[in-house]
Amino acid sequence: MPVAFAFSELGQQVVSGLASGSIYASLALALVIIHRSTGVINFAQGEMAMFATYIAWTLDVNHGFPFWGAFFATLAISFLGGVVIQRTVIAPIQRSSVLTIVIVTIGLILILNGLATWIWTGEVRAFDSPFPTRTVDIGGVAVSLQDVGTFGVVLAFVIALWAFFRFTKVGLALRASALNPDASRLVGVRVGWMLALGWGLAAMLGAVAGMLAAPTVFLDPQMMQAILLYAFAAAILGGIDSPVGAIVGGLLLGVGLNLIGTYAKLDVWFIHIDLTAAELRLPLALLIILAVLLVRPAGLLGRPEVKRV
Amino acid sequence: MSQRLPSRTASIVALFVAATAIVLILPGFVSEFRAQQLAYVGIYLIALTGLNILTGYTGQISLGHGAFMAVGAYTTAILISDQGLSIGGHTFANDLKDVWTIPLAALVAGIAGFLFGVPALRLSGLYLALATFAIAVSAPAVFKKFETFTGGGTGINLFGIKGLTGSISGVHVFGHKLAFYDWLYYLSWTIALVLLAVAWFLLRGRIGRAFRAVRDSESAAASSGVSLATYKTLAFAISAAYAGVAGALYAIANTYVNPDTFPITLSIFLLVGVVVGGLGTLSGLIVGAVLVQFLPLWSQEVSKSPGAPAVVYGVILIAIMLALPGGVAGLLRRVRPLARRLYTRPR
Amino acid sequence: MSGKLALTCAALCAALLAAIPGAFARGSAEPGITPTSILLGGTAPLSGSASAFSSVARGADAYFKYVNAKGGVNGRTIEYKYLDDAYNPAQTVQATRQLVESDKVFAIFNSVGTEHNQAIRDYLNQLQVPQLFPATGSTSFGRDYAKYPWTTAGFQPSYQAEGWIYGKYLARTKAGAKVAVIFQNDDYGKDLLAGLKRGLQRSAVKIVAAEPYEVTASDVQSQIAKLKASGADTLMIFATPRFAIQSLVYVNKLGWKPLVFNNIVSSASSIMTLASEGGKSRSVEGALSGVYLKDATDPKWANDPGIKLYRQILKTYAPGANWKDVYHGYGMAVAYTMVEVLKAAGKNPTRASVMAQTAKLNIASNPFLLPGILVRTTATERFAIEQAQLERWEKGKWVAFGGLWGYRA
Repeated sequence: MPVAFAFSELGQQVVSGLASGSIYASLALALVIIHRSTGVINFAQGEMAMFATYIAWTLDVNHGFPFWGAFFATLAISFLGGVVIQRTVIAPIQRSSVLTIVIVTIGLILILNGLATWIWTGEVRAFDSPFPTRTVDIGGVAVSLQDVGTFGVVLAFVIALWAFFRFTKVGLALRASALNPDASRLVGVRVGWMLALGWGLAAMLGAVAGMLAAPTVFLDPQMMQAILLYAFAAAILGGIDSPVGAIVGGLLLGVGLNLIGTYAKLDVWFIHIDLTAAELRLPLALLIILAVLLVRPAGLLGRPEVKRV
Repeated sequence: MSQRLPSRTASIVALFVAATAIVLILPGFVSEFRAQQLAYVGIYLIALTGLNILTGYTGQISLGHGAFMAVGAYTTAILISDQGLSIGGHTFANDLKDVWTIPLAALVAGIAGFLFGVPALRLSGLYLALATFAIAVSAPAVFKKFETFTGGGTGINLFGIKGLTGSISGVHVFGHKLAFYDWLYYLSWTIALVLLAVAWFLLRGRIGRAFRAVRDSESAAASSGVSLATYKTLAFAISAAYAGVAGALYAIANTYVNPDTFPITLSIFLLVGVVVGGLGTLSGLIVGAVLVQFLPLWSQEVSKSPGAPAVVYGVILIAIMLALPGGVAGLLRRVRPLARRLYTRPR
Repeated sequence: MSGKLALTCAALCAALLAAIPGAFARGSAEPGITPTSILLGGTAPLSGSASAFSSVARGADAYFKYVNAKGGVNGRTIEYKYLDDAYNPAQTVQATRQLVESDKVFAIFNSVGTEHNQAIRDYLNQLQVPQLFPATGSTSFGRDYAKYPWTTAGFQPSYQAEGWIYGKYLARTKAGAKVAVIFQNDDYGKDLLAGLKRGLQRSAVKIVAAEPYEVTASDVQSQIAKLKASGADTLMIFATPRFAIQSLVYVNKLGWKPLVFNNIVSSASSIMTLASEGGKSRSVEGALSGVYLKDATDPKWANDPGIKLYRQILKTYAPGANWKDVYHGYGMAVAYTMVEVLKAAGKNPTRASVMAQTAKLNIASNPFLLPGILVRTTATERFAIEQAQLERWEKGKWVAFGGLWGYRA
């Protein structure tokens, strides 16, 4: 099977896969945090991230904040927002069925998306990146410094979160509240506030994800919707409870999808397989979700859950 | 105890007969356009009944029933249109009359549900929700890919095709001429009432008890000899078949299918309809169906500015979830003893 | 006891359901038209991911309000009711049925979307309801007029015409060019590509790579990388604004400097400015596109009476609307044409007489279109606009060059 192979093309696909993958990983981190600390899968994570990014944009453009000022102010606002949402809307139904929680997060999606469209309209907007937009040529492969910066930020957060959960008391309390709320209460953990903290942290991480993605995908109310799906795939692939898994999953997913989309074509004898079609990119990602959930629900880096009967 | 059971059944039967009567005479009182809207309510009722069997009675969450509706819809569309299935250059299974495709749509969708149910045995709770969500999101893309069968992004247009009843000549039923919309209404509501009755029979028998056992405690059910595998896949298959029927009727009513007519929002709204209607009971489902059809329209009445209807819808949704966790059926359950008291003459 | 309960429930249900407002009598007069008003109806994606297109409805609505304030058309005010279809053809069908049968509109006007208009085309033609100026450039509208006599073409150069113009220009000016195309994987993108191929027939220019993307894509980095690897020196961007911007940004990121053609749908100055990343991007400079509407954000029209009117109308009749949104301009341009059609239909327009007018348009005075563009239809040529001018992006603005190109099928 003759294959004209350009290593620079392969390298380029890998590099752009790492770039997309970092963005998936950043939102996947938020999903991981919320699941690890509250046991909930938050379908509204993407919309929360989008809304936070708009807040950053407003602060930057309409109120003249300097970029980093807007960035940190947004982190603080989203943290508060996450806490408020948990306390007002999620807490009353935390003990209800899974289904109620799913419906409520769906309601949140509608509200946040609608609100963002109403306040800021659907117009596409630019978002500044804190990183230089120069591109460096390495062996025929163009590497954007912006993507490198994004990757760096995500990595830093992953490490910080890993350390937080592993080494701090609050991190331990968060994990405990999710795993066994009653026992945690017995040992004095304020479970309610731990859950709120979890949502606040996740909202903050989502804001980071949004602000990292926006310079590349540009800001509009739909910007996080596709990313959310890939973020779910990344989080499940890496392990829904593992921050390190989120970045591993994200990068694997980004690179993997690019490679499949470029090379997964076989035309030999009677075998005709073509997985490179653009229509298949999303279904493939979702197929990964299904496959992982069926074969190894804990993902690559998660710990398999043992249910007590 | 044994005294109450027959009278409860009797009142349910009476209610059913009354409902059938209302359904029969209603088109005489409403405009044709409204009849068409009510036909859609009937279609959603069928889908909601199926979803309720799976989610309400067997405890398996599905955010993917829009995909099963799509399977049923495409089955019907392919069979009705002159496209049919072409394998090896031969076209077959085309130009069928639309009503005969409905059982076929149910079958195909039911098989799809079964096929999904097998791997889904290993998933539960939020993971199942996520997996079904993944199916619903990727289904339009998959339908788009198989262009030769599904017509790709352009879809299949059923208008004016001879297989579609009433599209060329009028509709003649038992010697009466019916307008197309009234025909849609009667078609979907007849099927809805029949399927509702079937569900009721199914659920009050052994199968229903097994479903509820699975929902309440899988380990207890398994240790009492209820085969989880059998009943979970059965629940998926039955609910998918119901969704397939709904999808087939949806295709007939819209006279058009394409991948964009089954977005993820459809699956979400179906789940919303079931939860709001009340899980694990059949009584509130009609409210759920009305909600699925009309709430988007009502939200637009409140405000047309961009984004506002979505906010209205989301707020109403959350409010209902917070106020009525048991859905409308839960509300009815609380109302029933009150109503009974109104009718009891003090002895 | 329980029987009574059942009966009461039944009675309540019946009362509730029958309270739904009902019956109508079909009059023999033309629906949707009274001595003092005409009711037009349409659908637009007011919600969902395509909601950016809803501005075409708002722009048209603002223009109608302006015309009404000046006395309307032949003594009638124009009411324009548009409903949300969330860009879902199934909802387009239902909303259109509501407009036709419940609201009894005179005609369907300016509904958005290719598949959406196709989904209602048969229905409207069977009921003999005019389907006027669907907001889509799909060639099937305007081409299929014999089969669908109650449907007009869209109000823009058809996508095939546009692609053809780019192809012909390339063939004439850049023999031996190697073209890469990124296109949206639906009717719109494929139509543009088909037009391009027709324009490049029998020329020395070759299409060396064509990559589709789905609207569900999170980004198009992979496609642009593939296109760059094909060695092409020309890039056609047949993508909607979000993805067009991304494409331009990635082209710049990859250090690729092809000759870029951006399609009209995504060529508004505001979009190009975003893509140029504050002027830092090299790939945007020298990009080409077509244009038929006056772009309000283009400084050369700042003192143009048509654009001044546009901004005035928006300010008065659509407060809060963003004048930089070029789709508002489209809406006004098509509404202007609608008003001309109604005027030409005379004192007592009927559906048939209005349809007859749409087959003999000859309007040169549309203030929102480029000067010189003729809105013209004949019995055999139903595409209302078949001209565009080419423009080049130079130092932060579009500079038109050359004359008007006319599409020859």
